[in-house]
Amino acid sequence: MRLNELKIGESGIIKKIYAKEPLKSKLLSMGITRGEKIKVLKHTLAKNTFDIEVGNSNIALREEEAKQIEVEKM
Amino acid sequence: MKEIKVALVGQPNVGKSHLINSISGATLHVGNFSGVTVEKKEVEFEREGIKLRLIDLPGTYSLHPYTPEERVTKEFLLKEEYDLILNVVDSNQLEKNLAFTWQIADIGKPMVVAFNMYDEYSKQGGEIDTDKFFKLTNIRAENVSAKEKFGLERLFSKVIKTYEEKNTPRVYYSEIVEEEIENLKEKIKECKFSKRFVAIRLIEDDEDIYKIIHEKPWYSELLDVLKAAKERLRVEYDEEDTKTIMFEERFALSKGVVTQIAKKARKETLTEKIDKILIHPILGLPIFLFIMWAIFQATFSLGSIPMDWIDASFGAFGEWVGGLLPDGFIKDAIVNGVIPAIGAVVMFLPNILILYLGINLMEQTGYMARAAYVMDGVLKRFGLQGRSFIPLVSGFGCSVPAYMAARTLKNPKDRLITMLIIGFMSCGARLPVYVLFVSAFFAPEIQGNVLFAIYIGGALTGLIVAKILRAVLFKGEPEPFVMELPKYRFPKIKAILFDLWIKTKMYLKKAGTFIAAASLIIWFLSSYPAHEKELQNIPGSEKQAYILEHSYLADIGKAINPIFEPLGFTWKETVSIIAGLAAKEVVVSTMAVLYHTPDSDETSKELVETIRKNISFPTAVAIILIIMFYSPCLAAMGTFWAEVPQWKWRLFYTIYPNVLAYLMALIGYNIALLFS
Repeated sequence: MRLNELKIGESGIIKKIYAKEPLKSKLLSMGITRGEKIKVLKHTLAKNTFDIEVGNSNIALREEEAKQIEVEKM
Repeated sequence: MKEIKVALVGQPNVGKSHLINSISGATLHVGNFSGVTVEKKEVEFEREGIKLRLIDLPGTYSLHPYTPEERVTKEFLLKEEYDLILNVVDSNQLEKNLAFTWQIADIGKPMVVAFNMYDEYSKQGGEIDTDKFFKLTNIRAENVSAKEKFGLERLFSKVIKTYEEKNTPRVYYSEIVEEEIENLKEKIKECKFSKRFVAIRLIEDDEDIYKIIHEKPWYSELLDVLKAAKERLRVEYDEEDTKTIMFEERFALSKGVVTQIAKKARKETLTEKIDKILIHPILGLPIFLFIMWAIFQATFSLGSIPMDWIDASFGAFGEWVGGLLPDGFIKDAIVNGVIPAIGAVVMFLPNILILYLGINLMEQTGYMARAAYVMDGVLKRFGLQGRSFIPLVSGFGCSVPAYMAARTLKNPKDRLITMLIIGFMSCGARLPVYVLFVSAFFAPEIQGNVLFAIYIGGALTGLIVAKILRAVLFKGEPEPFVMELPKYRFPKIKAILFDLWIKTKMYLKKAGTFIAAASLIIWFLSSYPAHEKELQNIPGSEKQAYILEHSYLADIGKAINPIFEPLGFTWKETVSIIAGLAAKEVVVSTMAVLYHTPDSDETSKELVETIRKNISFPTAVAIILIIMFYSPCLAAMGTFWAEVPQWKWRLFYTIYPNVLAYLMALIGYNIALLFS
């Protein structure tokens, strides 16, 4: 499943990043890498924008970006 | 004296700017919003008889640049001369930060690491063993807190020691990667970078390095080895993209090192708790709107308190100066031209400082990034993104800092669209004009609502224009929105006050010189030619009016007036509106002069009365609409020109708001005609 399919409070393990460069490098360098635990802390009402936690950072990203991150629900 | 040139490098939000401020009391802006440090800043200081020169490079997540700022950092690290890299790391985010540390360690320059924000980290029970780190990586490191000025002196002596020993990092990846690096190194001949660095960058598809290597005679021989190396890594790591492999490799190395050097801190939970409320899916937007409302409320209500004092002091100052100078042109120019003009500018300083303070607090505490998160969905519908929000908010205060704030936008298209609509966020200087016309033409009970409608109407129009610009001139997919939300932090009062002081100085200097000069021109044009012969036959009280009616300004106004006749303007309105291009406050004072009211205070009942008698309601509507949409003041326009180098956009920016304002006014005028 993709990151945007996780509900608030749910976590997953990152499996693959489908984003193209240079976004892919950006995501990787922010700690969004294979094998890491990622948690959806919050999303806006319309699920447009997500607040996720990876490692010790909070990152805001849009649904479009979240769609490009493959996760396995924990 | 010996000098060490140090490149200060780190990921965004690690407190690099703070570190620079803590050394020398220098003047860098410190904020929590990702990427506040855009410009290259340097500080110089002396330690142990050696001059240290720190160059603050824009925060960057990796050496694969994503934004123009990150490219600046990479270009500097690859192309400029420097002696040593000082890498600042956030102790609370070791793994992510160190993954970048390994990237810059690859360059092979002497390097020192500062584990910053160690105070927070140790408070949560964390510990970092810097000796162990040195043993593992051959990189000297120190635990520091830039905020608490702790550990910095030890850090600098390590910088000097590292420089003197020419001590370079020894960071090794897994066996397979290292083997391939060795294979590649054999094929790499002369090059300005270290062989190791070139080998690694080639594995991870660094195009900048490719471009340099491409021209080398040994390039073709290297190609087969590189292909084989990448192929082997792909198989071993079960991943197609070798760049990703290297990212994962570094991340794994970070994790390994961190378990050896650090005792983990307890998780900081404050941020999560605050965020539960502040960016709540339903409450987030209302809370944000409330905070903005509160800031504006404070800006207008608190800001108006010192206004009268400033006005009175400048009045008194003008009289005092007038008493000192002999009568003549210079006295007139200074007392009637320059001093009131500067007074008008300074009068709005309190409003602007309060707004700055609000925006500054939002930045420093980390709320600004949240506000961008909350607003992203709304802005996206208009072809903008969350980050655009900050400059747009600043635009309600003054367009000058707003244009500068747009620098935080990474994407040139987003930045340009944002800058093109900042003018529609009615700035503080337009308020006097609105107040004057709203109180002259609307019933007291709806005046507040009309004023609110003017501001909201301007902002909404701005968003719609953004949408059109995106659809017509800036086609293409909107940029991805990925932004770190920094932890909430208590702001340093001293840093904020210092920042306000800097802003005050900048405002007084920049806007003051600009508007003073512009007002001087207006004053001159409205006071000359002198017509001394004719004036002899005119009673004293009407002299001023006669001069005006026959001034250069009147000539100009009458010449331009045909353009504005469809809006019901006479030359006086025309001149006032045009004068407003210098500064919006000038509209009110010009009208006061032209309609022959002795006191130009916009709240003066007399002026309101005169305006109501002399101007029709539809024309008033047209004037309000023009003020809302036409070009901002000269200072703002100058800032835009300074920020945007492309001539076509400068030209577009200078023309289109005026066309739009005219059309809006024409529509408004005719609709108002129907109703009256």
